[in-house]
Amino acid sequence: MQNAVMATLKVEKHYRMGEQVLKALKGVSVSIGQGDFVAVMGPSGSGKSTFMNMLGCLDSPSSGQILLKGTDVTRMSAAELATVRNRHIGFVFQQFNLLPRTTALDNVMLPLLYTAMPRAQARERAQHCLELVGLGKRLDHHPSQLSGGQQQRVAIARALVNEPDIILADEPTGALDTETGLEIMALFQQLHQQGKTLVLVTHEPDIAAFASRQLVFRDGLLLTDRQSSPLDAQQALADFRQHRLAEALK
Amino acid sequence: MNSLMLLNVAWVALRVNLLRSILTMLGIIIGVAAVIIMLALGSGARYEVDQQIKNLGGNVFIVFSRMRFMGGAQQGGTGQSLTEMDALAIENQIPQVTVAAPMVQSSGQVIYGNLNWAPSILGVDNKIYQAQSWSLAEGRTFTETELSSAGRVAVIGQTVKRELFGASDPLGQTVRINKVPVTIIGVLNGKGQNTQGNDQDDIVFMPIDTVRKRISGITLSSPKAVRSIVVQVASDRDMPLVEQELDALLRQRLRTTANDPPFRIRNLSEMVETRAQTMQIFNGLLAAVASVSLLVGGIGIMNIMLVSVTERTREIGLRMAVGARPADILRQFLIEAVLLCALGGALGLTLALGTTWAVEHFLGYTAIIEPQVVLMSIGFSALIGVFFGYYPARKASRLQPIEALRYE
Ligand SMILES: Nc1ncnc2c1ncn2[C@@H]1O[C@H](COP(=O)(O)OP(=O)(O)OP(=O)(O)O)[C@@H](O)[C@H]1O
Ligand SMILES: [Mg+2]
Repeated sequence: MQNAVMATLKVEKHYRMGEQVLKALKGVSVSIGQGDFVAVMGPSGSGKSTFMNMLGCLDSPSSGQILLKGTDVTRMSAAELATVRNRHIGFVFQQFNLLPRTTALDNVMLPLLYTAMPRAQARERAQHCLELVGLGKRLDHHPSQLSGGQQQRVAIARALVNEPDIILADEPTGALDTETGLEIMALFQQLHQQGKTLVLVTHEPDIAAFASRQLVFRDGLLLTDRQSSPLDAQQALADFRQHRLAEALK
Repeated sequence: MNSLMLLNVAWVALRVNLLRSILTMLGIIIGVAAVIIMLALGSGARYEVDQQIKNLGGNVFIVFSRMRFMGGAQQGGTGQSLTEMDALAIENQIPQVTVAAPMVQSSGQVIYGNLNWAPSILGVDNKIYQAQSWSLAEGRTFTETELSSAGRVAVIGQTVKRELFGASDPLGQTVRINKVPVTIIGVLNGKGQNTQGNDQDDIVFMPIDTVRKRISGITLSSPKAVRSIVVQVASDRDMPLVEQELDALLRQRLRTTANDPPFRIRNLSEMVETRAQTMQIFNGLLAAVASVSLLVGGIGIMNIMLVSVTERTREIGLRMAVGARPADILRQFLIEAVLLCALGGALGLTLALGTTWAVEHFLGYTAIIEPQVVLMSIGFSALIGVFFGYYPARKASRLQPIEALRYE
């Protein structure tokens, strides 16, 4: 608990829908340690995204605490939260959320533009991150000139660029085909091996199997929290390609 | 994010919707153009008035005789008309007066060969040169003998020279004025048009007695009667004082205490300025157009910025997610609005430059665009951007990151 990167303490989130109150989270306490690779699972509407938004300081809980390296962020102002997101958290979204008509490089630089870092240094870092995700030759491409998988790689580079303490990804493979999804998972595993802390939401048990820890939500409550030895995504990708090749040859 | 980067972001955003941006700017463009044109015409009119006052010799009163003394039968008693002696008395008895030039006026045909022309014919003495700032281009002024013996000589203005003599030399030539043969002894330097568009060079000067006795052919109440006296005052400051003294002196000399004396004192610069006031009515109209246009333009800016904020809600959400503070978002949209307005201002300036050029060349008005007006108009339009851009920008900055990200 002490060396947790992020922790939630009895977090609840209530939405008021006219007369009714909808409880999206009903008291969730989780601690995410340094270097964890967590998959968040559960049926639709169980509160996974709501939970992720709490971790990402994008939304505030109705009650409970959210601790970032031991500091409670629930009482911070909008400006302070922005700085927290900027310094400590990287986001990867299902729909990529890249700025249109903006080059891959400029998209990746975006978080750094809200820091005091000189532009030249920011550019260098962004370029490095794009190389890391395998897009070193696509710096000047606009999102519309990239495939879905490439766009998601740009988004991952953007999440990496300010060296956050934790990377949050809500269904990052949801909009991608199986093969591209596996490629993205291989990339996540690679980041994990480099010591990054990752939390990702997914519907698919196959995807969750690449993580080393699984949280299962149901009805706004944390149902299970288990460790497992992760499958190798690189291997899975190779098997998948082999299998497809065999299919094609038949 | 520093301002230069924000400016670039704003520029990209405006370029994406180029047509929309330009249409949005239209109100500002027209408003700013109207303001600049208005001020340019104002400065131009001011300049023309100054120029004309200078032409008149500045600090000049004209005292008119109200008697229709050339119309044959006189109204009122004798001795009621201004005379040359009054001019002399004004000059001698009011110390602030530098010169008082008597003048009679007539009209008539000037015939040279088979050409004829009808300028104003003025009977004057040599004081008129100082009083109305005339100078000779060639030739000479009247001699004492010509003045005292109603000599048949004339000094002509540039227009008369051009119309009757063209390029040839008028000096020494004889013209017939109302059938009287008259020798040209001098030509005046040109003054051009006055602000009312009258040609000041369409005149002939003759000795005052010549006009009285030989040209107008009308019996006068007094042999020395004049139509008007041009009075030049040493300094601008003395004008009010001299006006009072003129009134007192002439009342005494004409023996009148009437409310409505038989003379009228006109301040020439005031007359010119009265004309300039018509310009101000036109200017007032332009000012109304300008302010309405700027207001409508500002509201247009606000409207389009609100649209832009809505359209880019997801972008705002993303920027917030990666670390943009509310203040960063506020600045981003404010700068966009300001850029929109400042560009509109610059385009308005261009439009104004074109229009004033056309007005000068095709309508003959003087228009002067002063540098501070240029800076002011662009600064002012930027200010409109801040004013009307603030509300949409604040709205953007107050979005909740999660709601903005989820916005469809
Ligand atoms: N802004 C909101 N206003 C009202 N109700 C909301 C809001 N956001 C989420 N909810 C409700 O909260 C519950 C949890 O939603 P959440 O998005 O966290 O589900 P999820 O587990 O991510 O589902 P999915 O797998 O479909 O993405 C749902 O019942 C949803 O309808
Ligand atoms: Mg979800």
